Amino acid sequence: MQYALLIYEDEAPYAEENGQAWRDIIAQHEAFAAELVEKDLLRGGAGLKTGATATTVRRTAGQCGLHDGPFAESKEQLGGFYLIEAPDLDAALAWARKVPMLGDGAVEVRPIIEGTM
Amino acid sequence: MRKDLLDQAARAHGGRVIAALAAKYRDLDLAEEAFAEACLNAAQSWPKDGDPRDPAAWLYSVAQRRALDMLRRRGVRTRLVPDPPAPPPSAEDLMVDDARLIPDERLRLIFVCCHPAVAPDARAALTLRLVCGLSTQEIARAFLVPEPTLAQRLVRAKRKIAQAGIAFEVPGPEAWPERIGAVLSTLEIAYAKAHEDAAGAGQHAGYAQEMLDLTAVLVELLPDEPECLAFAALVRYAEARRPARMDDGGAMTPLSEQDPALWRRPLIAQAEALLHAAARRRRPGPRQLQAAIHAAWCSRPSLDEPAPWPTVLALYDALLTWRDDAVVRLNRAVAVAEVSGPALALAEVDWLDGVAFRDFGPFHAVRADLLARLGRGGEALEAYDRALALDPAPAERLWLERRRGQAAG
Repeated sequence: MQYALLIYEDEAPYAEENGQAWRDIIAQHEAFAAELVEKDLLRGGAGLKTGATATTVRRTAGQCGLHDGPFAESKEQLGGFYLIEAPDLDAALAWARKVPMLGDGAVEVRPIIEGTM
Repeated sequence: MRKDLLDQAARAHGGRVIAALAAKYRDLDLAEEAFAEACLNAAQSWPKDGDPRDPAAWLYSVAQRRALDMLRRRGVRTRLVPDPPAPPPSAEDLMVDDARLIPDERLRLIFVCCHPAVAPDARAALTLRLVCGLSTQEIARAFLVPEPTLAQRLVRAKRKIAQAGIAFEVPGPEAWPERIGAVLSTLEIAYAKAHEDAAGAGQHAGYAQEMLDLTAVLVELLPDEPECLAFAALVRYAEARRPARMDDGGAMTPLSEQDPALWRRPLIAQAEALLHAAARRRRPGPRQLQAAIHAAWCSRPSLDEPAPWPTVLALYDALLTWRDDAVVRLNRAVAVAEVSGPALALAEVDWLDGVAFRDFGPFHAVRADLLARLGRGGEALEAYDRALALDPAPAERLWLERRRGQAAG
């Protein structure tokens, strides 16, 4: 089965863009991704720039409107994602528990519709 | 008569057959449907042909064929060329003698139903439905929700299991403690519903029997898990006291006022054996402490002997180090009142006051009793009124009204 691991975090700790914390977390993500690659389980993924850099196209009754900012204004923002293979939910959850994070946050584990990736 | 037969078959054999089918075909829905059809088949043929020597094996055999039929039908919908139809089962095929041919996959089924990824309000219901074979109607009644609501919960839970890829497996060692905890928490909820009916001679009495059976299965499957053994002991202690829980007027009788002569000794003996077995594993845990509290009560020889409050208080002190939650603190305060006086107990209870307790009947009932003992009659009546306003079960209501009357008089 395939799963998306969606990473939600408070962006505040990342404020200092090229700081040591930032470099550390990048290194941890590289190691995490390498582990997945080594087991041939990684199918995709990316890190996203902060919510403030987002622009949202909102469609209502066929009309598109633009607004500055992410889909949801919340304390925790979508910061990145991994697309992985896993035999079952428990295996995917085990990976989700290991996703690197600067502080508190959440990793949503969502199964991918077969044949769409 | 036919419905009775179906219900009985489901309760007696459903868990084992559904678990075996689900393990084989990795499809919970299919397993449940196939078993249901086998039961319908049984309801028609057993009254005519007589009960089979081994009902479980008969049901398993027929359910397997139904499952294969269903799979073929699903296959036919997605392929252009249909398979030839399956030959009907021969009489020999149906006379499967040995129940050992049904692999016991109930442990996997229990772990799946209680998986943390399943909605919390569905886990207990799903376990009671699939493992214990209770009907949706019965479960809905016990959980005080409309039947369609409960049916929806079960459908969503099974869909989640299928869509999210929850495997039909026993968890590995790393996940084991968390998953065992989830199973026991789920069963606690399931049992609490059965226990709430203090009368217990009514419709919930049968459900309590299912909990006794289920905990027996759990102990059989996990004999080295002390918290499982302790939970099985807890259920037996509680059920042992059922005959004493209500007085002739239908009012609840609190534990300290129950006549030990009315308790069911055989269940207490079973509970003690389980608790000793748990203690021998030398891995303490909260349920073992809870069971020990029950054991302290159930070893009271008669109402003439003093209630074991000092022991109970000491055990609650120990339990707090594992579970520092409001219910434990409240129950402990009751023991504090007996050992150290109501003033100290009230201080503890008032310290607990918070949003969580606004709608918790027992909180107000305990406060009311303490206030009454301290001569603060007006406040005691208010507290009793708050407890009564929270719609307690009939036996509890009668008891609260009586105590309120005493406080007012």
